[in-house]
Amino acid sequence: MNTLALILLILFSGAIVAFLSEKVSKFLPSLIAFISITAAGILFYTSPADVFNFKLSMAGLNFTLKIDEFSRLFVHMIIGLSWLASMYAVGYMQNKERQGTFFFNMLLSIGGMLGIVAARDLVSFFVFWEIMTWSSFLIVVWTGADFRRTGIWYMVFSAMGAYAMLMAIMMIYSDIHTFNIDEIIAAIAEQRLPHLVEASVLLLFGFSVKAALMPLHVWAPNAYTQAPAAYTAIFSGVLSKMGIFGMALVLLSMLKFANPADFSLVYINGFIGQILAWLGAITAAIATLYALIQTDAKKLLAYSSVAQLGYITIGIAIGTPLSVMASLFLAVLHALFKGTLFLAMGAVERQAGTTDMTKISGLIRRMPWTFFVTLVSIISLAGVPPLAGFVGKWMLYEALITNGNVFMVVVVFFSSTAAFLYSYRILFGIFLGQEEDDTAHVKEAPLSMILPMVVMALLLIALGTYPGLLFDPIAQGMTVLGFENVTWQMTVLSNVWGNTVNLMYISTTIGVAFVAALLFLTLKGRKGSRNVGTKDISTSGEIPLEHENLTYQLDFFKPFERAASPLYRRKMTKIYDDLSNGLDALFDFTRKIYTGNGQTYALYVVIFLVALLIYVQNTL
Amino acid sequence: MSITPVHYIAVPLAAAFLIPILSKFHKETARIIPGLVFSYFLVISFVLMRQVSNTGIISETIAGWRAPWGINLVFGYFSGFFATLMSVIGFLTWLYSYRFKLVDSKPAMSYYILLMMLVTGSIGIVITGDIFNMFVFLEIVAISAFSLTSFYPGRDGAEAAFKYLLIASFSSFLILLAVLLLYTQTGTLNIAELSTKVHLIPQSLKLTILVMFVVGLGIESELFPLNGWAPDAYSQAPAPVGAVFAGVVVKGGIYATMRVMFTMFDINEMGQILLILGLITTIIAEVAAIKQTQVKRMLAYSSIGQMGVVMMAIGIGTEDAVFAALFMMFNHAIIKGLLFFSTGFLLHNSLTKTIAEMKGVAKKFPVLSFMFALGSFAIVGLPPFSGFWSKLYFLMAAADAKLFSMIALVLAVSIVEIVYYFRVVGVMYYHQPDESLPTKQPGLNAYFVMGFLAALIIGVGVYPDLITNFLHAAAYELTHKTEYVQTVLTQFVR
Amino acid sequence: MEGLAIKILGAVITTIVAFAVGMTYGGITRKLTARVQNRVGPTIFQNFIDLLKLQSKKTNIYHGVMGHFAPMWIITAAITVLMFIPVLHPGTAWYNSWFPNLSFHGDLIFLLYMMVFGSLGMALGAGQTGNPNSAIGVTRGLSQMVGFEIPFVLALVALMVQYQTTSIQDIMTVQRESGVWMMFSNPFSFLAALFASLGMFRYSPFDIVGAPAELASGPVSEFGGKYLGTMMSGGSIFAFIKLTLYVDLFLGGAYSIPELLIKTFALYMIPVFYGWVNPRYRTEQAIRYFWGWPTALGVIGLLIAIF
Repeated sequence: MNTLALILLILFSGAIVAFLSEKVSKFLPSLIAFISITAAGILFYTSPADVFNFKLSMAGLNFTLKIDEFSRLFVHMIIGLSWLASMYAVGYMQNKERQGTFFFNMLLSIGGMLGIVAARDLVSFFVFWEIMTWSSFLIVVWTGADFRRTGIWYMVFSAMGAYAMLMAIMMIYSDIHTFNIDEIIAAIAEQRLPHLVEASVLLLFGFSVKAALMPLHVWAPNAYTQAPAAYTAIFSGVLSKMGIFGMALVLLSMLKFANPADFSLVYINGFIGQILAWLGAITAAIATLYALIQTDAKKLLAYSSVAQLGYITIGIAIGTPLSVMASLFLAVLHALFKGTLFLAMGAVERQAGTTDMTKISGLIRRMPWTFFVTLVSIISLAGVPPLAGFVGKWMLYEALITNGNVFMVVVVFFSSTAAFLYSYRILFGIFLGQEEDDTAHVKEAPLSMILPMVVMALLLIALGTYPGLLFDPIAQGMTVLGFENVTWQMTVLSNVWGNTVNLMYISTTIGVAFVAALLFLTLKGRKGSRNVGTKDISTSGEIPLEHENLTYQLDFFKPFERAASPLYRRKMTKIYDDLSNGLDALFDFTRKIYTGNGQTYALYVVIFLVALLIYVQNTL
Repeated sequence: MSITPVHYIAVPLAAAFLIPILSKFHKETARIIPGLVFSYFLVISFVLMRQVSNTGIISETIAGWRAPWGINLVFGYFSGFFATLMSVIGFLTWLYSYRFKLVDSKPAMSYYILLMMLVTGSIGIVITGDIFNMFVFLEIVAISAFSLTSFYPGRDGAEAAFKYLLIASFSSFLILLAVLLLYTQTGTLNIAELSTKVHLIPQSLKLTILVMFVVGLGIESELFPLNGWAPDAYSQAPAPVGAVFAGVVVKGGIYATMRVMFTMFDINEMGQILLILGLITTIIAEVAAIKQTQVKRMLAYSSIGQMGVVMMAIGIGTEDAVFAALFMMFNHAIIKGLLFFSTGFLLHNSLTKTIAEMKGVAKKFPVLSFMFALGSFAIVGLPPFSGFWSKLYFLMAAADAKLFSMIALVLAVSIVEIVYYFRVVGVMYYHQPDESLPTKQPGLNAYFVMGFLAALIIGVGVYPDLITNFLHAAAYELTHKTEYVQTVLTQFVR
Repeated sequence: MEGLAIKILGAVITTIVAFAVGMTYGGITRKLTARVQNRVGPTIFQNFIDLLKLQSKKTNIYHGVMGHFAPMWIITAAITVLMFIPVLHPGTAWYNSWFPNLSFHGDLIFLLYMMVFGSLGMALGAGQTGNPNSAIGVTRGLSQMVGFEIPFVLALVALMVQYQTTSIQDIMTVQRESGVWMMFSNPFSFLAALFASLGMFRYSPFDIVGAPAELASGPVSEFGGKYLGTMMSGGSIFAFIKLTLYVDLFLGGAYSIPELLIKTFALYMIPVFYGWVNPRYRTEQAIRYFWGWPTALGVIGLLIAIF
């Protein structure tokens, strides 16, 4: 049997088995999910690359699935993160209700994602896209809290995106009567399709919803927050990247091959890219501003995810080799560090009962490993050397500067500087500050939950010095997208102006200085060292009482909020609320056509008959 | 005795005659005999469909009169699709409602007979080859439907039935008038022969006849603004009857429309009008559905909306569009069936049948709620359920006709559809249950029916080829009417 | 092997020079401030004396692992950044080879990010001590950073785009070859960067982080002994780094140590003077300050650079 089909079959049938097995044992669904993903992963990594090719003719349509080098990059992300998250989920979901539903949808959405990246025709792309969407919807509403605001919004926005895609697919179909992506690309190169521009814009609209680009992002913070942490890692880490994958498909794979003789198309391509990039930059800035005023750690990370996807979008939309590489690098990194962060917050939630930063503080001694992975991920997120986040940020900046997008650089820089604020917020809010008496009982999460996070944290550290490990698959993928001779080095970054950054020197310098300082500070005066608790502080010479908690948690960045108040004034959600209220009134008005009165209905029939007769006699 | 299409009519009529007599001896016969009839329908459908695939369209005269003078029955892929679908839905409804507690004061007997007559009448519509006969069957359907609408005693049921009666009388009047005009102009009532003679009618009169058909049949097939009766009728009739309305009665109306528009006349004459009517119907119905507080009314408006899309597909008029229309009708029948069936138990003891009363029912009825959710997912067209494919084919047909603004509008109202279906699912699963409602668990028969429909939805969703070849044949037959006309006419000329 | 040894020796010498200069500038400032306020003030070597005292303390308060790491992060960041900043124009005089560094292996973007490294470590250490003043100070510092980074980045991007390079070395070379300092060729960008430097040095009116008498010296309030001493050293090196960076970028760089000292001292006095005549801002005022004229100047500078 075909390997690709078998992988999908394992995941989908695993989903059904997991769903049914809940009746047998509460523990079983998580185990089945883990086993299914492991099996799929083993199958994927033990098979030669050329077997991932699957064709099916059904219902008068030809379905083609194929994993090329570009898809492979995303498959690595999907399988890798899903595997770690499902390992984590075994412990995380312990003793929770309705696990069958959760793991059913989790496996389904993973299968859906694999299908999306493998799809080489638009119908199977759409089918898998929808499967992914509704299964993730069911996980978002899984906890049942706030169904209307979270679930319906997610579904409505997703449906808007999906139907925009469907519309675009139909436009392309009406032009050239094929759904096959390769044939479409070939057709674009040869002839001018009448609906290409509209279709591209609609496709990008659809993908922007999933990538939570402004102004279509309003579903994302709630949805990321509401989903259980084990899934949010996948949701924010890879599911949202499907939007990026799609954008790359449209901008880099389809539009780029548009006939160069057709000037307007080329112009439109660059124009669309610029608009999209600016949307990404604005998304990054605004979402960062909202992230830093959150008090719930998960929600903070949710906004942060939206912001990070903004950066990734910029890179794809600009479309130079360096920017695309930066974007894909950031995409993988985002999966790693945001995956870790959501998992870490899940661990905090499980052990301490909440992720509300106003309720907990000082967990560093209770959950040292969780703190460690959070720290590593946060440093990566903030882009501080020598961890991997810096590499992605650097490439993005250099790509923008060398490309002349100078004002975009400033916006991006603003949002990444503001990102330091929420980065600190989350580290401080949960792990630092004074220890609470309420959280004295909190223990570190079990090993099965710590292990996946540590694995990802170590990867982030390794990639900080050896980003070439990741450049390799990215460059191969970019070759498929049509970037010839993508150059990269294992530890050296360079831009088109010839400026370089040698990560090996940086890491070595930091390492040497750090070890020297560590030795100096640790060894010197070791005997005179006095360990004190967090309550033993010099606040005006007083020692706070044991039950008092002086940790600064409320209105954390209030001064900043005041300074930036014009940027906070307009809320996108309010616009959508007004819109939905307006529609509601319109619907109510329309509904009143059905008066419930038989005579009115009879009158309708008569009027309609007469009108139709007059119309027909006069026009036909 | 070999099985012929006339069994569809003769057997239930005989049964209807026997039931009152036999039930004097044994009460249960009133339940059992319709079931046997429905089972026999399944057998007939199966046998005839095989025959059609071997030998082509079957044409049969009743009582030996030659067509075009005699009454004849025609059974091809197209009619066969409808007849089979109706038989299946009829049988499933019977099985589902076998233990359905109806109001005690009234004997259940009449329910089963009416159900049987409703399905028989609808099948009559689709297999008859005679336009007047079709009118007669439409009347049979209408009368059974009135009775079922007012089945529960009380003001609401009577009011709904009265509205239905009022509007349907327009329908009867217009169709009868159109048939009369046709007869005076061409001297025949046989559809096949009419199709060869309609060009003789003066253009202006022909258009008038067409408009009468559009309005008369539009009432049956729930076109806006002729569908005021439908929500009341759906919501007042017993829940399983809702499934029959959606799966059988409306299909009869649509069949008649298609037969008249495609076989008798040329679809291009009214295609544009049907297209626009369908679009308006869809938009208004979906918008009205989102404001409903009663589940069954919501489902009714949703049905109207679906029929609007079907009508659009008919209006497009290409073979692909007809295929999409047939696929949509198939899906609508099975999915709406599942939705009505599951609602029947979920709101069994509720008097108001509001959405709010479904709060948290998922805790008490996990399987039923699952079925409802499955139906919701399927009907809004999410893959991998069957509803997706019909939507896809419809869009492909519309894209071929370059109707992009229509596609956009249909997709936009699909979002509305998603909202109101998912809202109900949300209420079922994510609200705290009310303890007040007494519960009734469905029996094994109901579970079997719903399980079968669910399996069909998923089966066709995963592997649409289960049904597409068949539908393609039906669509081909309708859009290439020569074979139909030839078969009916030549058979008796020789 | 010998080359490596010389390089390490050079690195050590660079660090020592940076440390000494930074400490001395701090001492001079204290003295001058005191004189302006009509006090006698400490000697200009007071900072060295303070450091000696701190390092010789017998008892040190250990506030947990992040508290332990915080000074290390600061000194690590300071040394690393120093290694990647060209102190003098390379190769113009024999003693310039004492200040070899790795500036060919890092660029401006890297420096911008690396300079945050220390503050982040500091912030984490301050957080773990549990002193609310520390956390308040950190949030103020981070907020202010978002303020002044914008004009600063605008200025830097203008330079980078105009001269098509992100390397500090190249920008120095441009100035050496043309003979015109950036502060004259790109005056608006220079002014934007200069205003940003006010926030960077955290003298009054931007001393909201430490904020004596308000936050009890903020983030460092729980640190003492060897920890505070290490932080002080790191801070002094950072002061030198920032000044050298400005000299490299805008004042044409330096060919010799005395030239460097003159230029850096002149630059250093700007925030100091500014501080003497201005009382402390509130945080939002500080941020708004940077988002006002300095940003406008930066935008003008950037527009000039593009066109």
